[in-house]
Amino acid sequence: MGVTVPTAAAPPLRARRRSPRRDRALWTCVGIFALIVLAAVSAPLWWHASPTDTDPLAALQGPAWAHPMGTDQVGRDMLARVLGGARISLLAASSVALVGGSLGALLGIAAGLGGRLLDGGLMRIFDAMLAFPPVIFAMAVTLGIGVGLATACVGVALSAVPYVARVVRSDVLRVRNAGHVEAAHALGVPPAQIVRRHVVPHVLPTALVQIASLFSFSIVAIAALGFIGLGAQIPTPEWGTTITEGSALVLVGKWWVSTFPGLCLLIVTAASAVIAERIRVRLDPRNRSGRALP
Amino acid sequence: MTRFLLVRLGGALLSIVAASMLAFVLMRLVPGDPARQVLGQFATPDQLAAFRADNGLDGSIVEQYGRFVGNFVQGDWGTSFASGAPVRQLIGQRLPATIELVLVAFAGAVASALALALVSTYRPRAWLDRLVSGIAFVGMGTPPFWLGLLCLAVFFQQTHLLPGPDGRISPDLAPFPDRTGFMTLDALLAGRLDAFGSAVSHLLLPAFVLGFAMFAFLVRVLRASLLEVADEPFIAAAQCKGLSRWQAFTRHALPNAALPALTASGLVLGQLLTGSVLVEAVFDWPGIGGLVVHGIANKDYTVVQIFVLLSAVLYVSVNLLVDLLAAALDPRISLHAGTRRRRRDAPRAAAAAPPTARSEGA
Repeated sequence: MGVTVPTAAAPPLRARRRSPRRDRALWTCVGIFALIVLAAVSAPLWWHASPTDTDPLAALQGPAWAHPMGTDQVGRDMLARVLGGARISLLAASSVALVGGSLGALLGIAAGLGGRLLDGGLMRIFDAMLAFPPVIFAMAVTLGIGVGLATACVGVALSAVPYVARVVRSDVLRVRNAGHVEAAHALGVPPAQIVRRHVVPHVLPTALVQIASLFSFSIVAIAALGFIGLGAQIPTPEWGTTITEGSALVLVGKWWVSTFPGLCLLIVTAASAVIAERIRVRLDPRNRSGRALP
Repeated sequence: MTRFLLVRLGGALLSIVAASMLAFVLMRLVPGDPARQVLGQFATPDQLAAFRADNGLDGSIVEQYGRFVGNFVQGDWGTSFASGAPVRQLIGQRLPATIELVLVAFAGAVASALALALVSTYRPRAWLDRLVSGIAFVGMGTPPFWLGLLCLAVFFQQTHLLPGPDGRISPDLAPFPDRTGFMTLDALLAGRLDAFGSAVSHLLLPAFVLGFAMFAFLVRVLRASLLEVADEPFIAAAQCKGLSRWQAFTRHALPNAALPALTASGLVLGQLLTGSVLVEAVFDWPGIGGLVVHGIANKDYTVVQIFVLLSAVLYVSVNLLVDLLAAALDPRISLHAGTRRRRRDAPRAAAAAPPTARSEGA
């Protein structure tokens, strides 16, 4: 047997840094995402049907020119419903990501900077929250404070808080002991200013990365809660709820009612996950494969 | 090691206790008086008081919590308000179906993730790289309930290749004894190949749908760690020693790369628990997830609350087990300073070393 020369020299694919300008996948995803947002926002301007107008005579029609995504069991235009759902789902998910992410970041900073008591107390609470799988925690919160889209959003946002807070806290702990903070301290900079000028700016990228990756998690989680009846309630065109409405119809061959909202959901989550991933690689080289929300 | 074990065990126990408090608080927040809900608006105060006493709803909040935990630990999980049956019995009846589904989904996902990760890192190729990361992003973004409906539309409604959502086995087959609770196993034990085929075909779609997101997640983790390990000097050394690349991979790279995947599989369990609720709802699978969704629809919250608490207990214990297993397998993991030295530090240390060691391997 001849000695084969090891071929381990193949360049590690992941280490190859692409310049963000020439990153085609990134810009495709940004484009798709922007297109969907734009279409959802401007829907009333270019699409004649409304998401709530019923037309029993045109019930359950397959995709055709008049109704590109078909109609549902009471004759509502599915394209209009999917676009209306896009407004709801995108708005809900982005507010959840923003609110949950910021709350988590704030608590993380507080835990990282606060004394032992505050840190310990907050971490115990986070441990309790992390004992539940995130969507199940959101489920429990939603059940506790009442069923609906708004409460589902609160549940999902709360379920994300400990994940963000823990990452941000560990970052704060790292920065707090860094040389520049020590130097500022030695120079007599007041503590509040140290936090504002020398700690928070270093933690900000981490928080941003967390918020970005929260978006795709929350959009699926909100839809999942809607699907099992804890989120938006039936006539609302929220994507998860619309999928529930169409689920019985799938078995009789009317596939379009739940297929299109789900497809949009998939496209939006995949695109936003790619964008979040690129932001992470860009901003946070330390946390290459850190603990992300499952 | 003993100290490590004790600290971890204590931490997990603390987590579970805190989680039970949280679950208790959340279930007490549920609007409306459960006694009123069950007995209706014409119940007398005496009846209400008796109901509260029966269901542990009287006394101070601390007393209630104590009773709740005591009952939970003793296996008294209350009564389902909708069906009148004890929750423990309901869950016990449906547990085997869920376990069977989850096991098949897990095994399938792990096996296929391992295969794809190996293939795509064995000889890195750009198109494979893109395919894998594409699968990862699509898989993690696919809502399982929607994927389930899509599969039903294609494989059941349109082509009739696989059975629709009618439980674990075709209802018109002759019954056979229920020995283990696992349909496939029971059918084999009874020597009934037709029943076995039916059970397997009923299992295929739900298991695929449940496993898909997990597969996407695992393939990503495994592949990233395999890529890192494949680049390490000891793989080159193994090959210089005369091992083929395949041998170097399977004997040296894979065991080292499997550790992050093992750690990740604790997170995967969370996906499985959530996913089983959604997937069982779609396929009308007679498991615990289906029970939970029916519970939500019927406002039968006892069932849901017990499920929430049970999933926390399970999640914490499995993550603890995974941590302990990882510590047993990797001597570098220790409890010093409460942090875990991670695998990723190794490549960086190698990169910091003089470049000769690396270029010699090339």
